[in-house]
Amino acid sequence: MNNVVKGILLYVVGWAAFHYGLFDLMKPKEFSWIANRYVYFLLFVFYCIGFNLVLKLKPPISLNGLVVWLLGLYFYTNILYPPVPWTLLITYMMLWTIGTFLYISQDPVTFAEFRKPIVKTVIGEYKIARYIVFIALPLLVGFGTYKSLEPKFEEPVELRTVHPAPPATTKVHGKSYKLEGLQNPFRTDEQDNYKDSFPFLDADKQEYMKSVTEGGTIFFQNCHYCHGDQLNGQGMFSHVFNPTPANFVDPGTIAMLRESFLFWRVSKGGPGLPNESTPWSSAMPPWEEHLKTEEIWKVILFEYWYTGWHPRTFDEESSSGGGE
Amino acid sequence: MFNSEARSIKWLPWTLVLAVTLLIVPGLSSQAFAKEVFAEQAFAEEAFAKEVLAQEGEEEGGEPKVEWGQDVFYKDWEGNPLKGPISGFPAPELGEEDYNNYEFAPSRMLLWVANQQHLYFGSFVLAVPIFCMLIEFVGIRTKESDPVLSAKYDKLAQDLMKVSLTAYSWTAILGGILLFTFITLFPGFFKYMAGIFRPVMHVYALMFLAESGVLYVYYYGWEKMKDDPFLKWVHCSLAVLLNLIGTILMYLANSWATFMQAPGGIDEKGQFLGNIWHVIHSTLWNPVGVHRILGNIVFGGGIVGAYAAYHYLTAKTAEEKAHYDWMCYIAMFIAIFGLIPLPFAGYWLMKEVYAFRQQMGITLMGGIMAWLFIIQAVMIGLLFFGANSYLHNSMSRIKGSHRYMKYAKYMVLLLIVCFTMWMTPHTIVMTPAELKDMGGAQHPIVGHFGVMSAKNTAVNLMITTTILCFLLYQRANKKINVSWSTQGNAWIAAIFVLAALNIIFLGVYGYALPANQRVGLSVPQVTTTLTTLFAGTAINISMFKDSDSYGDIEWGTQSKVATYAIFLMAISFTWLMGLMGYIRSAVRLFWHVTEVVRDNSVDAYTLTIGEAGKMLTFNALFVWVQFVIVFWVGSLTAKKAPAKAPEGVPVPAQQQQ
Repeated sequence: MNNVVKGILLYVVGWAAFHYGLFDLMKPKEFSWIANRYVYFLLFVFYCIGFNLVLKLKPPISLNGLVVWLLGLYFYTNILYPPVPWTLLITYMMLWTIGTFLYISQDPVTFAEFRKPIVKTVIGEYKIARYIVFIALPLLVGFGTYKSLEPKFEEPVELRTVHPAPPATTKVHGKSYKLEGLQNPFRTDEQDNYKDSFPFLDADKQEYMKSVTEGGTIFFQNCHYCHGDQLNGQGMFSHVFNPTPANFVDPGTIAMLRESFLFWRVSKGGPGLPNESTPWSSAMPPWEEHLKTEEIWKVILFEYWYTGWHPRTFDEESSSGGGE
Repeated sequence: MFNSEARSIKWLPWTLVLAVTLLIVPGLSSQAFAKEVFAEQAFAEEAFAKEVLAQEGEEEGGEPKVEWGQDVFYKDWEGNPLKGPISGFPAPELGEEDYNNYEFAPSRMLLWVANQQHLYFGSFVLAVPIFCMLIEFVGIRTKESDPVLSAKYDKLAQDLMKVSLTAYSWTAILGGILLFTFITLFPGFFKYMAGIFRPVMHVYALMFLAESGVLYVYYYGWEKMKDDPFLKWVHCSLAVLLNLIGTILMYLANSWATFMQAPGGIDEKGQFLGNIWHVIHSTLWNPVGVHRILGNIVFGGGIVGAYAAYHYLTAKTAEEKAHYDWMCYIAMFIAIFGLIPLPFAGYWLMKEVYAFRQQMGITLMGGIMAWLFIIQAVMIGLLFFGANSYLHNSMSRIKGSHRYMKYAKYMVLLLIVCFTMWMTPHTIVMTPAELKDMGGAQHPIVGHFGVMSAKNTAVNLMITTTILCFLLYQRANKKINVSWSTQGNAWIAAIFVLAALNIIFLGVYGYALPANQRVGLSVPQVTTTLTTLFAGTAINISMFKDSDSYGDIEWGTQSKVATYAIFLMAISFTWLMGLMGYIRSAVRLFWHVTEVVRDNSVDAYTLTIGEAGKMLTFNALFVWVQFVIVFWVGSLTAKKAPAKAPEGVPVPAQQQQ
């Protein structure tokens, strides 16, 4: 049997055995370091490389390229979990396709070898392949067109700005604040000094922990319904909102922002978002209508304390201009 | 013969390192230096002004005449806003009468086109003298060992300069158009800027004159100063002078843009406070300057590369093919060398922007401009893919490269994995159904790639991979003979493996640190990457001593994929340059000068991504049409006197035999 045909058969049979046999065994409900879907994928890749080496099949670059591309597709559509949104899938597959192209075009010899079956198909040397391609291609385009024109009833995708730029100044409870350089008045000491302390338990011992405790109390009275009791954005109401409430544990939210940003965002809520954040679908209320200024600052203090993040600061030199 | 060519190429990295250091180190250190000096200078100035005022007060017995204003940016040694004597008019509140427009297009678009075209050409004419300086220097250095090759380098430098000469006048014309566009369409704004920058504008004009003078002497004196060794060195020194003047010119022009974005040296009303250096040397001046120098080198390399690639594809004879293949190589060598440190300069600039105004930083990276940054990430990826594809393809035609070509696929895999991390946005576009499937706005696995720790790690690994590819390329046809070859190879391997581990460790460690410290981690990451570049290149080249050759580089056999990769890089870079320029400028939103002069024109809105994309594409296409014309004009003189190889002097293709 031709090596190429043999190779294709082994790929198809192997994939079927892996996908329909081993895959379910390798993804138990409880996460395990050995039996998980990523180890499964690695095993499958080893199988693909292994049988080629053992049987010395030396597949042509065109087949290798196809297999590499399909492996990428298989990973992104079946292995990576939870499934990524289609925009990301398209991006990843675009990158993978570029990578496959770089692989097959790394030198003129492999590129010529890759082109050979394509050229032979086009000029008619591979007659059956040509019939299949020239019939399948229009059908595929037709199917794609049909799929894209078919009416769908999904909610539209929204390109929202998640971290809108804050204004230069904000007015809270009649007082105007310049956000640049605005500090949390309750951040009296670095929180690392209190890492072994607990709000509520140590509130009477240190002034700092007292503020954190008060902030925590306010948080659990007002904020945790949406932002969650672990501050991970998974509060009991969170699932009905789009956009979902912010996850403060994520390194991309409060960890990247200055406290003054949070002060503005908490005070003004969804209605205070600037134009660039259209559509204004954030359900966050303007908390200045419910909380006092110092309460807002204390909640912010608590959020940083709980998550272990430090608010973003800049070294003196760059933020002070002259730096003297 | 071409062995010696390969040997002489080793000069190029060293020369490039020297040139980049010469250009950038002053830029970096001048900031620190200027700030140090500034404390004393400010103290002295203020003390002097107070003394004068006190004297005046005593003499006249009344209130001092000079009014004092507080600087919007600079601070004194106690951290209070610096005071300075008000020496200018307050910023105007612009009204309808301060803007003019034509029926056919919004003024802002016209200004955009004028500005961008001038910048593209300015970038090219500043880059070419850098190339010429380097190539001429390499030519002088190889003169004794290989006069034929030396002449080839010299001819290449001269040819490039010829094209640059046409482009130079073109740049000046575009500059004139830009100036008239400012004056006619934005008279109110320009009046204010001219009021502040009056002396700088005059110095700029004089520097332009000096640049022209040196340029003409440099170009027209080429033949006369060619043969005498002393005069040749003088000629090469003229190139250094030309570059120095060019750099000063660019820095002066940069000061207008950086002042508009992050002003200093004025008070809140926009009144000039008497110190022109403060106005020039605002916070973004140095990072923008360094970023532009590197950008110019890559852009210039891309254009010269594309020019050579076009001629390579259309070449009829083997000699021509060999020549343009070699020219592609030189251009790509320089472009890739500039490309490697370019992202670091970009980070520095962004850090300074963020430090100047949090608002501006967020608008750029997380706010309304964030999607443009995603597009930027795509374009940068294309540049790295193009560079690596060129290197792989060029390497494959070198005899002896089979020893290293087997690693190419792993390097491609690493590049793609890193680029996947680099491209993963923090906020993913998705339908509400997908959001529910994913269980939250962040993906539990790829969600971690959305922050800077992952991105820095990815980009540093991508650059390190490119550097590794570069080293393998350098040694592709060498059979290493030095006695310490095993140790040398072990050192190179150790440097790269440890560098990769260090970069990954720092990236992962970054997740456990607060944001301000995390930003600081990029410094050791960058240092690690640059160590691989410098230490790796140094060890690699040292190992070439007494090496045997597997065979010469077969110039004229560059693959089509490599040739098209050069076009890809050139076009991507043109577009990317426009994009980043637009982002940097548009982040001022509705300000002409941030927080000082408000843009009250009808055009003070932020374009949609699609509209901006169309403008960028138009600008990129338009400038390429002009480049084609300029190159064509440059070729007219060549056609008059067809260059004939003197008898007995081997042309490149013959040299291989």
